[in-house]
Amino acid sequence: MAAAPGQLIHLMPPAVPGAYDRPMTTAALPCHTPPVGRIPGNRGIWVGIFCVLVEFLLLFLVYFIARAHHPEAFRTGPDQLATVAGTTITLLLITSGYGMVKAVAAMRRDRPRACLGWILFAILLGCGYPLVKFIEIRWNVAHGIDGQAGIFYTVYYYLTLNHLVHVSWGILGLLWVAVRTALGVYSSADYGGLEAAAVYWHTTDVIWLIIFPFFYVLR
Amino acid sequence: MPGHAEKVWLLLVALTGAGAWLGETGEPGWALGLTVAGLIAFKGRLVIDHYMDMADASPPLRRVLHAFVVLVPLLVLASQGFGAAIARLTTIG
Repeated sequence: MAAAPGQLIHLMPPAVPGAYDRPMTTAALPCHTPPVGRIPGNRGIWVGIFCVLVEFLLLFLVYFIARAHHPEAFRTGPDQLATVAGTTITLLLITSGYGMVKAVAAMRRDRPRACLGWILFAILLGCGYPLVKFIEIRWNVAHGIDGQAGIFYTVYYYLTLNHLVHVSWGILGLLWVAVRTALGVYSSADYGGLEAAAVYWHTTDVIWLIIFPFFYVLR
Repeated sequence: MPGHAEKVWLLLVALTGAGAWLGETGEPGWALGLTVAGLIAFKGRLVIDHYMDMADASPPLRRVLHAFVVLVPLLVLASQGFGAAIARLTTIG
């Protein structure tokens, strides 16, 4: 059976009688809308994401156990930290994450230049995190808050610096997809690598949205 | 007129501002614990469903992420209410 250009050939009978009566062409398919039930990015990145979730869940258990053993230290600890630093990091991360949402949306519409602009925006804000962290740690040390200042601050440094390491990997991933976007590797039909970097980046957002209240809000 | 992504971003910014305000003024107790648990669950869900685009994604992946931002707030509440019991259970020797 000869098919017209763009027309699908049906190898199976229709599940609903008469469903094939109206000719179906690829032009009728929503080519830029991701299918329901899909795996965002690729399978490999989800192995990494689940490893990160398990790792931080264990670190959070350490936080809760330390809090249970030293309630007074965890009640007074946040008073000594600079809430403005934690808040700034949160704003940088969620705004950078917004940039990656726009980057993926631009690629779905086949706008690689706009996509690259949004990735660079996300990287720029993401790089603000290590900068703010550096300033915060200098401020902490100047005020006598180092890793030996008490159990609360030991857990604080352990968790937040661990998160910084994951964010650094995320920034490297964003740089990688920025280069590949500039080289024209991605399109609306194939942007799995770009989306993989984006979902990893958003995972670091989710983790930080938990860490922030642990050390700057909860008492 | 802000789009969907902009609305989610604005909501996250507003909730972050609320969290910062609580960090400066909040008193220790159940009210703060419940608020923090709610903020973690809600903000986490916003990022998962709207930033990560998980609303239409593979159900097992989505469930794991949703479970993560439910489990952690439950642990916050557990540590708030059962701190002494957790300390007893995790004491060696």
